[in-house]
Amino acid sequence: MIRLPSWVQDTFNSYLVCEFTTVKDGKPVTLPLLPFYQPDTGKLVVTSSILFSKKIEHMKKNPKVSMLFSNPEGTKSGKHVILVQGTASADDVDLDHGWEKYLPLWRKKEPYIDAYLADREKFGWFWKRIAVQVEPKKITAWKNGDTSKPPEVFGA
Amino acid sequence: MEHRELPSIDYQRLANFQYAIITTIGDDGYPFSVTTNYHLTPDKKILLEKPSLPSKLDGRKVNVLFNHITGVQTGGYTDRRYMLLWGTLHEDHGNLRLEPEKLSEWDEKILPFPEYCAKVAPQGAKYLETLQPSVEA
Repeated sequence: MIRLPSWVQDTFNSYLVCEFTTVKDGKPVTLPLLPFYQPDTGKLVVTSSILFSKKIEHMKKNPKVSMLFSNPEGTKSGKHVILVQGTASADDVDLDHGWEKYLPLWRKKEPYIDAYLADREKFGWFWKRIAVQVEPKKITAWKNGDTSKPPEVFGA
Repeated sequence: MEHRELPSIDYQRLANFQYAIITTIGDDGYPFSVTTNYHLTPDKKILLEKPSLPSKLDGRKVNVLFNHITGVQTGGYTDRRYMLLWGTLHEDHGNLRLEPEKLSEWDEKILPFPEYCAKVAPQGAKYLETLQPSVEA
């Protein structure tokens, strides 16, 4: 597990969106996703509906992924740029309930999620979800977001 | 996510993001993303400022994501939209010019989320099929 300074962990905990990249046929595919952080394991987590599961197909073929934290919108955190490069593993054993253990983290970032969950029947397939854990291998971090300066690198 | 062959970029909407994210694949096989400023020229060039890393992007195949959310006072976010362009970067007077080749985009004000979910239902069905044990009956 990579040891990280508090400002990096705060960014993981607070940012509402990350830019998640999978690799398809050697080319990047980058999409915005809601990220969660597990400080006890150092792993990051995203979940994906089966409706938007092409990225899962990509990572099953090539588990090398990245997550960029660059957008503090909707948070009280500072503007930082942090790139996580790591290995993804997708858990689709229980699409209906396997991802629910991340609901407390989800609720913190999107407090209105319970209202959507109460209407779960309406978007049945949206709630069939795959949980993805990302184990960081290398973290490249630009404090205060100035990418013209050399970054701090962790875990290299 | 709508995939379209160019040319069909709405440059007016493309101009309406705060920054760009360049992603390429590194020599180690991992994706590498970095933020940068961008601007569009009147003749529809997409110019990106050079980030410090990766050090050499001229001639590289990349994707460039333009993403937007608006934070909600009580938590969470709304007004989701993104444009994702694949293409090649070229040196252009100290900047990097993106020569776009493919576009994928979503704007929830244009395609509301429920309609978006309905549109991508075939991908959900396909994924479920991959999880089914094969039955020769």
